Amino acid sequence: MSKQQFEAELQQKLAELSKDKQPERDLWQGIELALASQETPMQLESRGPRVAGSKLYAMAATFAVFAMFGWMVVNQQSQALVGDSLVAALSEQHQQQKNALLVKFQDQPALTQNWQEQLDELDEAAVAIKSALENEPNNMALLKMLQAVHQQQINLIERVHSAKWSQI
Amino acid sequence: MLAEDATQEVFIQLWRKIGNYKGDSKFSTWLHTVTSNITISYLRKQRGWLQRMFNIEDSVATYKTAEASSAEVDLESYIVRLPERARIVFVLHAIEGYRHEEVAEMTNMAVGSSKAQFHRAKQLMKEWMGYE
Repeated sequence: MSKQQFEAELQQKLAELSKDKQPERDLWQGIELALASQETPMQLESRGPRVAGSKLYAMAATFAVFAMFGWMVVNQQSQALVGDSLVAALSEQHQQQKNALLVKFQDQPALTQNWQEQLDELDEAAVAIKSALENEPNNMALLKMLQAVHQQQINLIERVHSAKWSQI
Repeated sequence: MLAEDATQEVFIQLWRKIGNYKGDSKFSTWLHTVTSNITISYLRKQRGWLQRMFNIEDSVATYKTAEASSAEVDLESYIVRLPERARIVFVLHAIEGYRHEEVAEMTNMAVGSSKAQFHRAKQLMKEWMGYE
């Protein structure tokens, strides 16, 4: 009896499972960087419009399938690029994301006074990690630390400007 | 975060492999298969480093006893808790609808292993959902 109940509940939960899941960060910049570093405009043009159309479909579908694999994976560092190029790509992507957030919140009051000091401290930490990465560009522990510091900065900016907290 | 990284990797690889699509099957079928294969390959590449750093399989296994079972918890949280091989098989078979023969080919395991991992996944879920 309990086996049947379990199977029924499992099927119900499977049916209710959301098929769509949005990424929490903008994935385009990393994709663009990886592609731009390997293909020239001439190469892209030579593929022709039919392939380009398929690519647009693939592009849309790729983000749709993001949800399919969200459960299969656990938190970890990207290896699409390696070494110095990965560090540079991560830093550039982060800087753009950070700048975009700072512009977005520039007219909004911050919740705490010293958030920029905290931001600077995290900047210093990132600089120290990047300095260590110059000697060991493929050290995954350092790369992970760098990404964690970047994420802390993003979280900090969002947290101190969060409307939800401002209302409390 | 790895899901997002894997999504990026999928798109980059698809961009490179798009010329391999010959029109022998529906584009969506080809896309789904290639995406699955790229993701599994990506996971496999990451696994060595991950296990050295965090011993993922062990840490996931501890959830079995550490977490209280509850029928109220949604399926997604159960799936995340599964050990890696069981999780991949469960997602591909139960959610994506691949047959065990296809799962076995995609994950480079025997068909029997795919079935065993699926059974393991269900057993764990059964326990977590309070049926055992």
